[in-house]
Amino acid sequence: MDAFALLVGGILPYLTVVVFLVGMGYRFRAWFKAPQPGKMTLFPAPDSTAGGVLAETLFFPSLFKGDKVLWSFAWIFHATLALVFLGHIRVFTGLVDRILMAVGMSADNIGVMSATAGGVAGVVLLGTGLLLLIRRLTIQRVREISRVPDFFALLLLIAIIGTGDLMRFGPHFDLEQTRVWARSLLAFSPDVPRNGLFLVHALFAMLLIIYVPFSKILHFGGIFFTQTLVKRS
Amino acid sequence: MAQDTAHVGAGPATKRPEVVRAKESPVVDPEQVIRAITAIDGGPRVLKLYMEMCARCGTCASQCPVYYGKAEKKYNPVERSDLIRDIYKKHCTTTGKLLGALVGARDYRDGELEAWAEHFYTCTGCRRCATYCPMGIDNSVIARKGRAILEAAGMTPDTMQKVVRISLETGNTDGASPEAFKAAIEFLEEEMKEEHGVDIKIPVDVVGADYFYVPPSGDVLVNPEATTGVAKVFYALGLQDRWTMSSHYFDGANYGLFTGNDADMKADNKPYVEEAKRLGCKVLFMGECGHAYRIMKMMMEPARWWGDLPFTIMNCMEFTAEQIKAGKLQFDKSKNPQPVTYHDPCNFGRSCDIVEEPRIILKASCQDFREMYPNRGENWCCGGGGGLSAMDDIHEFRMTVSGVKKMEQVRATGAKYVAAACSNCKRQLAQLMEYYKEDIAVGGVHDMLSRSILINGKAAKRVDYT
Ligand code: HEM
Ligand code: SF4
Ligand code: SF4
Repeated sequence: MDAFALLVGGILPYLTVVVFLVGMGYRFRAWFKAPQPGKMTLFPAPDSTAGGVLAETLFFPSLFKGDKVLWSFAWIFHATLALVFLGHIRVFTGLVDRILMAVGMSADNIGVMSATAGGVAGVVLLGTGLLLLIRRLTIQRVREISRVPDFFALLLLIAIIGTGDLMRFGPHFDLEQTRVWARSLLAFSPDVPRNGLFLVHALFAMLLIIYVPFSKILHFGGIFFTQTLVKRS
Repeated sequence: MAQDTAHVGAGPATKRPEVVRAKESPVVDPEQVIRAITAIDGGPRVLKLYMEMCARCGTCASQCPVYYGKAEKKYNPVERSDLIRDIYKKHCTTTGKLLGALVGARDYRDGELEAWAEHFYTCTGCRRCATYCPMGIDNSVIARKGRAILEAAGMTPDTMQKVVRISLETGNTDGASPEAFKAAIEFLEEEMKEEHGVDIKIPVDVVGADYFYVPPSGDVLVNPEATTGVAKVFYALGLQDRWTMSSHYFDGANYGLFTGNDADMKADNKPYVEEAKRLGCKVLFMGECGHAYRIMKMMMEPARWWGDLPFTIMNCMEFTAEQIKAGKLQFDKSKNPQPVTYHDPCNFGRSCDIVEEPRIILKASCQDFREMYPNRGENWCCGGGGGLSAMDDIHEFRMTVSGVKKMEQVRATGAKYVAAACSNCKRQLAQLMEYYKEDIAVGGVHDMLSRSILINGKAAKRVDYT
């Protein structure tokens, strides 16, 4: 096993999990601990019942009122991102396939469905990711406040999506490899796929996950705290 | 009486006092600034989150009246908030400590408070950014933190400092004595006598009255029609001797909110609560002043600054609107034939949700009420919020930057009278009309009511209000 594969496929995954969990735990704890002397009520008050916060999380209504163009980029981007996350369950376990087969789908049909849904999602995600980047570069009020971390987050994301799409649309990639890899990781005896493109994709993805607790990508955590502070008194 | 005060109102030629700047800036201890910023790490929670989760998406800039007026980097809300955020990053975040400038983190630079004094007083505190930010970030809270740091370093702009000092010394931001106040009240009673031929009282210092009316002092001393309006409402309801004002505490304005000095804000607030207790009122009856009502209703009461209160807090517009809805007040709308629009003061709209009440009053008392768009919680700031309205040294900024959007909004309505339930908004609006040579009058909400309400079946005699 060459060093790169071992590093990316055998060591980094464990590091990623540890750093992510510890980092997130640390951040959330700090947020919980910080006292909030009063509410910050803002009218028309976003509804900060559980349902209201959920609506804000799922549909970004404040952003919709504020900037419809960004809303459409961001919403499609996030929705597709969520889809792709779900899709990755299939990448790592055969469980989804077995369930689908149990309800009567053939292996071929599953393949076609996944190729179509995954392919479309991959292209849309890449497209909206690029749009967010272009927006950042071309709109003055966004450009003037953009810095290295803002570009880094987007570029890393685009790199992950790009390499993912290359695997999807390039030479056939057998998912059995990743499933074996996932199982072997859980058994603490990593069996790393040798596909170079895959290793690069996985490397970028893990870097992003490691980066999340330390960056503004954690915005999805904080939003629960800010939204619950603006409730009606 | 009006000169040299924070509340010079809708009158024509507004005087512009000389700007006095401290010649030598106080010596600032950098450690003190850094300590104030690193303290955010421990809360309040919102401020900590604001330091850590801005997506830098630029939505706030597109919704900010200041950036709208002039799309310069220094007016971008994120850029202003970064003044504090970057130093916070340097000291309190992992990436900032490890990567420094690469992630925008930096340390406090000696002497930079000088520039802060300008920047943090270019945010009007309108909270419009917070309404649209996908993360709910309220840049005005960060700006207020910046102002608090300036205040602790003795670098609050003189115009602001002066207002707070006068208010703490005399109980009102105009620095008027109880005698001057009583004289003004007598004058108003005489006016109402002329208008209606009956004695409409403005009771003063009546212990045991139900309603203790606390307007901004400008509504007695500068644009008193709002106060005569309130007096007429009580008269028409037969509650003439159930309300009172205080000859010592007749100004809800509280500039501690604007300088970021919580101690001053509370010190300015406490005498009003004590006076309300002394008078034994049942209702602390706040006037047409957005930030005064916000401090009482949204801050002091829920946070229990002074414990349990033996009275409730209500705004005069809520009261009047209720009476109108109940059909207890009658009007002669023909007294107000000109097109009238309403400017939602940010502190009443976004911060307190008092939006329908002023409309009910204006629609009842005017023939041609017109909405301004957008309105209510989404209304644009007049450009003088956050205390800026009182700062004559930034008059040019308020006219050509922060007030630009408001001027466009008002023009688009075609109105000849803009009502605003706030002395600060009224001052800024009146200056805008003067600056842009618009023939549009500016005043309060009860002002319109005062001109058209029927007392014993008749509206006020005076017809010409120009
Ligand atoms: C809860 C509601 C959420 C809101 C309102 C929201 C909003 C946004 C916005 C406005 C952007 C665009 C930033 C730009 O202009 O570059 C963005 C980017 C991004 N979001 Fe979200 N988001 C939410 C939840 C999430 C969740 C659950 C994830 C999943 C991990 C996520 C991951 C990302 C990533 C990876 C980016 C691109 C990198 C970046 O610019 O930070 N977001 N989000
Ligand atoms: S709208 Fe909110 S998240 Fe976006 S740049 Fe402004 S403060 Fe940051
Ligand atoms: S509070 Fe108002 S003036 Fe200040 S940054 Fe936000 S939108 Fe701009």
